[in-house]
Amino acid sequence: MSEPIARRKMLVDYRIVATRCQDCGAVYFPPKSFCDKEGRGSTMEDVYYFYDKGKFLSGTTINVPSNKFSDYGAFVSGIVQFKGFNVPGRITDYEPPAEGVDVTEFIDRGVVPRFRRNYMDGEDGLVYYSSLSFSFADKYYPYQEYKVIEPETESDKPGIVGYGTYIPKYRIKNEGRGILGVTERSLPFLDEDTTTFSVETGKRALIHAAVDSHLVKKCFVGSESPTYAVKPVMTTVAQALEIGEKLEDGFFSGGVDTQFACKAASDLFVDAAALVNYPVFDGDYVMVIGADNSQAAPGDALDYTVGAGGTAYIFGKRDVIATMDAYVAYTSDTPDFYRREGQKYPRHGGRFTGEPAYYKHVNTAMAAIMKKVGLSPADIDHVVCHSPNGVFPARAARAGGFEPKQVQESLVVQKIGNLYSGSSLTGLSAVLDISKPGDRILMVSYGSGAGSDAYLFTVTDLITEKRKRQVPIRDQIESPHKEYVDYTTYRRFKEMS
Amino acid sequence: MQLIYMVTKSNSKPIAAIVGAGRTKFGELWYQNPEKLLFDAGLKCIESVDRGLSRNDLQACFFGSFLYQATNKLGLIPGYMSRELGLNIPISMTEAACASGGSALYNACIAVSSGVMDTVLVGGFEKMTDRTGKIADDLMFAADPHEFDAGFIFPGLYATMMVRYLYDYGSDREKCMDSMAMVSCKNHHHAMGNKYAHFRREFTVDAVNNSSLVASPIRLLHCSPVSDGAAALIVTSPEKARELTDTPVYIVASQQATDHVSLYTRESLTSIKTTKLALGAALSQAGLTMSDIPLAEVHDCFTIEEILFLEDSGYYKTGEAWKGVYESYESYKGSKHIPYVNGGHELIVNPGGGLKADGHPVGATGVRQAYESFKQLRGEAGDCQVDVDGPIETALCHNIGGTGGICTAHILRRDN
Repeated sequence: MSEPIARRKMLVDYRIVATRCQDCGAVYFPPKSFCDKEGRGSTMEDVYYFYDKGKFLSGTTINVPSNKFSDYGAFVSGIVQFKGFNVPGRITDYEPPAEGVDVTEFIDRGVVPRFRRNYMDGEDGLVYYSSLSFSFADKYYPYQEYKVIEPETESDKPGIVGYGTYIPKYRIKNEGRGILGVTERSLPFLDEDTTTFSVETGKRALIHAAVDSHLVKKCFVGSESPTYAVKPVMTTVAQALEIGEKLEDGFFSGGVDTQFACKAASDLFVDAAALVNYPVFDGDYVMVIGADNSQAAPGDALDYTVGAGGTAYIFGKRDVIATMDAYVAYTSDTPDFYRREGQKYPRHGGRFTGEPAYYKHVNTAMAAIMKKVGLSPADIDHVVCHSPNGVFPARAARAGGFEPKQVQESLVVQKIGNLYSGSSLTGLSAVLDISKPGDRILMVSYGSGAGSDAYLFTVTDLITEKRKRQVPIRDQIESPHKEYVDYTTYRRFKEMS
Repeated sequence: MQLIYMVTKSNSKPIAAIVGAGRTKFGELWYQNPEKLLFDAGLKCIESVDRGLSRNDLQACFFGSFLYQATNKLGLIPGYMSRELGLNIPISMTEAACASGGSALYNACIAVSSGVMDTVLVGGFEKMTDRTGKIADDLMFAADPHEFDAGFIFPGLYATMMVRYLYDYGSDREKCMDSMAMVSCKNHHHAMGNKYAHFRREFTVDAVNNSSLVASPIRLLHCSPVSDGAAALIVTSPEKARELTDTPVYIVASQQATDHVSLYTRESLTSIKTTKLALGAALSQAGLTMSDIPLAEVHDCFTIEEILFLEDSGYYKTGEAWKGVYESYESYKGSKHIPYVNGGHELIVNPGGGLKADGHPVGATGVRQAYESFKQLRGEAGDCQVDVDGPIETALCHNIGGTGGICTAHILRRDN
């Protein structure tokens, strides 16, 4: 597929764009310029089904795929019925059993559109995404309505307006008591990667915040595993979620992909908060996403702690659920973990990644922010530290004078693994999921290379009301629909991303 | 929808005639290049004209092929065919996926019945096996790009119809699935006498039901094969036909109907609208009903398609063709052909094996169907000849493109 065709296709496929006749209500997919019934006098409008749900009309298992889909093995494709029209789609987060499946059993089941990768043009060509992939609504991924709600409050301080965490359905167990406190980890399905994670987390953040995406004026995506070496994930997020005021097929918004190992996203929190407070920016909201299919060489120590997924935050000053009260960053050139351009997997300095790298930066930033705000550890309700494993954040918190219970709620790494750029953001979301109004939350990220950002947040009353629009991370961790795979499948899924 | 009838709507008045027909063997013809296939089919066709016909008598050529550009990296097919024919006559290339051949014949009928021409060549051709592993992707050109992006392959699209059919009508799932297999068994049985067939091998119902899964519930032996091959016809005006032979086969109806290329935008997953439209118009044009049809070449690219034809044609009621197929096959007494029985009427479908066993070189299929009918009506079908009391008078050709985006229907009669 050529680049111009890819561009035109994404304008339809990312948001499932159909056209509706304003005269008779007939809906057409692919979009049509006129209504078959009303003729050339018809007035057509674009309609979007990205946030909608459909039902499975019929389909099949594809046991002998076309060349473009040969890496998937067997899968289910089908026809999905929306209100008044149908689309073709692939069922994702599902692999039919080897003995086959009776596809008639899927008929009439509810399905939810998922932003997923279709296929890639070889090793160096374009990667094609679409929302015409669907998962069953009664399984791992629930349908959520996206409804914009006019904000009622304005805060003096900028802060978090909403957030969304996405953890993929698939997991692998670390046997026994786990490895470095990690007992199980998330991994991408065959069609997931950092771009799909970013769209998914951003979508959930918009739903949670109930914010009009067109009022979000900047989007940052921090990752160690971006889909392209050159081509931002951010633009795909902006196109899929319609970030910024729309003009023709583009948007008045900016943003950038950032890279600073595991603090690529957390570093931008303060920038996001500053921008919504900056008159020249003239925007209401900024989105910050941290997401990774965390990379690790097969058999390396990291291969037993890495996870996949991420979290997105929307910063603003209206209907804030947690104000940003303080910020400190600490940086040095410490080569503890790195990946050269063109290399598939990162390398690390073994035990050197601990004391001189992680602990030094995390605890220095932690101490500095506590001193800056003049609080003692007892004044903090929850501590979130970057979580490369289950041991480091607990130990860093203890070194900072905190009790284990203060860090406990953030340690989702034990069940999802290290999300790299999404790690501290996801630990924070785990805490926000259970925080009470008035809670103080200290978050300290860490990025190899190296540096730490420390933030202090105070939770507001609005967190309770907004919680009903959240898919809590604990629901994702404990979902009865999560699926465990063996190591061979884990590597197969991970290598596809 | 109003279809345009050619020339006249009067009953059974011929609009054109077939006076010669030729074909190659269908199959994996690794050692033959396209030019050789075209030459062989064309030569046999011309030499089959009883009172002789010269290449220079041809006034035009209507050529059907689906994937020539992809399989042979060649465009400007009229120029290519001009060189191969050694003629500078008008040549039209018709691309309508699997109905390319039927559509070429349809165009030839328009040319002849209009009076502009009285002697034309109709060719159908495909060279598919040269593409080896790429052909499944190539065939998806006949589907909507969104269907390709959803991971569909052609068996998957027909499987989607079959799944819905099973859901809506398959009250006895096991028998319904057996009926889908019986279509395959019947057509393979019919091909045993066909020296040109891709496969001359019988299969049991169990063998079909246990063959490898391609797109559930479609298995390998529910599918027509990827084949190479060519077929050709000499189509003339009825008047010209009588100059060239004492036994012309008349074309008394020629119709084509179209619908969406995309299965998912159609009105039904268990009925092919184009079959209903084209076939309904053809029967009306010929002044016939299905009970007048003893012989049909049906587009059985996948066995579910033959089942759908039996309902869309009205031969069996909606949702009940599988029962008719099952009962007909079960009551088979070992004759050369296995007819579908409905009341007192018998309908023999695909006497030479159809697409399933004779083979499916896509662009050639529609022309091959007319070839087979021509031979049957003239009693020249050799070991495939339908053996019934008295001569077969009428044959129907039903050629589908894609998943039903186009259908041509032709009715041929031995005598006027």
